Amino acid sequence: MNRRIVLALALATTALVSLPAIAQKSGGTLVQITQPEPPNLAPYISTSAPIGQVTAKVFDGLLEYGFDLKPKPSLAESFEVAPDGKAVTFKLRKDVKFHDGKPFTSEDVQFTIMEVLKKNHPRGIATFRDVTAVETPDAHTAIFRLAIPAPYILKALSSYESPMLPKHVYGQGDIKTHANANTPIGSGPFKFGEWRRGEFVRLDKNPSYWRAGLPYLDRIVVRFIADASTRTAVLEKGEAHVAGLGAVPYNDAKKLALRPNIEVSTKGTEMISPIVELLFNTKQAPFDNPKVRQAISYAVDRKFAIENVWFGFGKPAMGIISSNFQPSGLFAPGIDFTVADRIERANKLLDEAGFPRKADGTRFEFTHDITPYGEEWQRFGETVQQNLAQIGVKATLRYEDLPKWLKRTYTDYDFAITSNFLFNLADPVLGVHRGVHSDRIRPGTVFVNGSRWSSPETDALMDKAAVETNDATRGKLYAEFVQRVSEASPVAYVLEVQFPTVINKQFKNVIDTPLGIYGNFATVHRE
Amino acid sequence: MKSGSLGSYIARRLLQTIPVILGVVVVNFLLLQLAPGDLATVLAGEAGGAPKEYIDQLRARFGHDQPVYVQLFNYIKNLLVLDLGYSFRQSAPVLELLLKRLGPTLLLMGSTLVVSLGLGVLMGLLAALWVRTWKDHVISVAAVIVYATPLFWVGLMLVLVFSIWLDWFPTSGMENVVAFHEGWNRVVDIAHHLVLPTVTLSLFYLALYARLMRASMLEQRGLDYVTTARAKGQTDRKITTRHVFRNALLPVVTMAGVQTGGLLGGSVVVEAIFAWPGLGQLAYQSLFARDYNLLLGIFFMSAVLVVIVNLIVDVIYVFLDPRIRIG
Repeated sequence: MNRRIVLALALATTALVSLPAIAQKSGGTLVQITQPEPPNLAPYISTSAPIGQVTAKVFDGLLEYGFDLKPKPSLAESFEVAPDGKAVTFKLRKDVKFHDGKPFTSEDVQFTIMEVLKKNHPRGIATFRDVTAVETPDAHTAIFRLAIPAPYILKALSSYESPMLPKHVYGQGDIKTHANANTPIGSGPFKFGEWRRGEFVRLDKNPSYWRAGLPYLDRIVVRFIADASTRTAVLEKGEAHVAGLGAVPYNDAKKLALRPNIEVSTKGTEMISPIVELLFNTKQAPFDNPKVRQAISYAVDRKFAIENVWFGFGKPAMGIISSNFQPSGLFAPGIDFTVADRIERANKLLDEAGFPRKADGTRFEFTHDITPYGEEWQRFGETVQQNLAQIGVKATLRYEDLPKWLKRTYTDYDFAITSNFLFNLADPVLGVHRGVHSDRIRPGTVFVNGSRWSSPETDALMDKAAVETNDATRGKLYAEFVQRVSEASPVAYVLEVQFPTVINKQFKNVIDTPLGIYGNFATVHRE
Repeated sequence: MKSGSLGSYIARRLLQTIPVILGVVVVNFLLLQLAPGDLATVLAGEAGGAPKEYIDQLRARFGHDQPVYVQLFNYIKNLLVLDLGYSFRQSAPVLELLLKRLGPTLLLMGSTLVVSLGLGVLMGLLAALWVRTWKDHVISVAAVIVYATPLFWVGLMLVLVFSIWLDWFPTSGMENVVAFHEGWNRVVDIAHHLVLPTVTLSLFYLALYARLMRASMLEQRGLDYVTTARAKGQTDRKITTRHVFRNALLPVVTMAGVQTGGLLGGSVVVEAIFAWPGLGQLAYQSLFARDYNLLLGIFFMSAVLVVIVNLIVDVIYVFLDPRIRIG
């Protein structure tokens, strides 16, 4: 063989071998669309959905999570739970610096958990309720002391849920009106650059990020575009590269998926687990009768709603706990409301409950409130209306704006049935218990137990599951809990939404955590 | 007319606007109290649920736990020293938020005013000169069609044709956020982004002004002073440019002044479609969030804008028609 050919082959082989390295070369600007514009960039006092899509790239959490929801190291290299479950010791990385150059220490953990999240974070107040102290024996060890075991805390330490703040910055002045609320300083892969209201937030690469060689991108620009059709056009044209969590209408996501330069992913909601439901007012006839509630649950055509309202981006909900908890063993199905003879069953239940059909074929009528989250909710309301007409129940639809609807549902309880959208979040204790526990019947507090149904048995099951550290035992408790809730059906669990994320194919590795677009994008790279 | 009298006239008019604007503020404040739900529930709602302690804590921070008249009194007291309050939702002072949005709004409004008035007057003038010919009919019919077409549809169609199909203009935004141009390149970039929103917003007003101008021209041409001028031996061209045109402009200018308020409203739609960072979008967002401090600030700013534009219109009258005296 000619020497020159050998050389050429050798070169070609080298080129092939080094290809992955070339593919992940640094550089490039990723344009993300977030809808609506975040009100501020203070994820420690507000969990408004768009905020985290920006700030999860600026802050780090103590832990990260795999798609199986198992914790992975981040700012904490390792953690250890005490045998009695009442202490968790975190070993922190020693090479982490905040964007202003100051080092990250256990003091920052103590401050963030005890002074900020436990006092001000809308969900943190509940999550860290049982944390009595965070001890700092040295600069790189933080020990959470707990009044009772609270294993779910280990699921709530992502950069999205519990961002670690620099104490020397956020410890100065009032945390609620902090000067850095719109100019965040964290330790994450991207530094805050600029926020031009109504236009964009610019995030620049953090050159001294503690994960060597990361991030790959030079810059992330998060754009805000109020009109849905324009958002679709911008993605189609390639002026923006990533959009998720409802930023693109479901039917447009389906259309965009057909374009050669675009990919649509339904991964990345495993730690959010949104469920579409119908909430009954169980204190008011006729929905104070579990048979009527079950009948309604049977009558709703889940498959039709998924195909025609959510354009296939969902699957039927099997009960109060999302099937996303299957890998962690906490999922169990309740009564199957999707059986073939569901309409006959619904009719029979209503007859038994004492609501026979009248001469005009109807049994009773009520006003059905609609979640004011956009057009698909109106379509869903119309679907429910037609489904219920089949069993002789007449629904009149009512659509109001968000503040009015929240007040009606969670303060005045002035509704019969309303559609609703609740997230299971990272653990049933965080997202599920609030919907049916008796201690979460709180007028004026939104997205808690709005049906006002509860039972001593289910309360006890939840209380046990909350402090149980063994997943298998928790799974058994939850299986019984799910069954009992579906028998009472204070809520009809309709479908699990799988939010489509629209991604331009020149960017790789965009969705690599169960938090999806709430991930930090450190490993996203351009081809 | 002496310049001194014009100055004192403007000063007097500005003084008169203070009670007007205060009235607007008070009425808006009271109207907003009627809307059910408040910022605290919205913030808690966005959080996907929050304990009651959190909501109570928010209300106390916003001062919503005080009686309405105390809140109103405090608001007006602060307003007098131009302290528009703090937007708790946006975590920033209201005045700062407003001033950041004022620039893009004025840019869009200004370019729209120039385009729609300029072209509208020209179209109306031509239609009147060519009255009852096919050219007049083309202009009039086109004006009616444009006038009747919804803004959002025009906007989306322009994006589809000129941005996606032809790739002449960017779909949205105020500048290129990947390149981040500087200096003159930035000016050119912003102008490039400005074209489609301006055209969209202008079309409606252009049609309005064209129709008004045409009618006004035709009316003026039938008046006695035209006959007199003709009897004096003035040429047709001179009659049209010197007399008829100037007089015909008066109702159009009046209408342009009145429409400024509407322009602010119309820009909500256009700003949404083209992601233009103006006041309209801010107003829309803050209404749905019950961010009253911010919303009141926007109302205040809009009232001031409308008053100023109308003052300018009154001054323009004097130049158009020397018979109109100020004061």
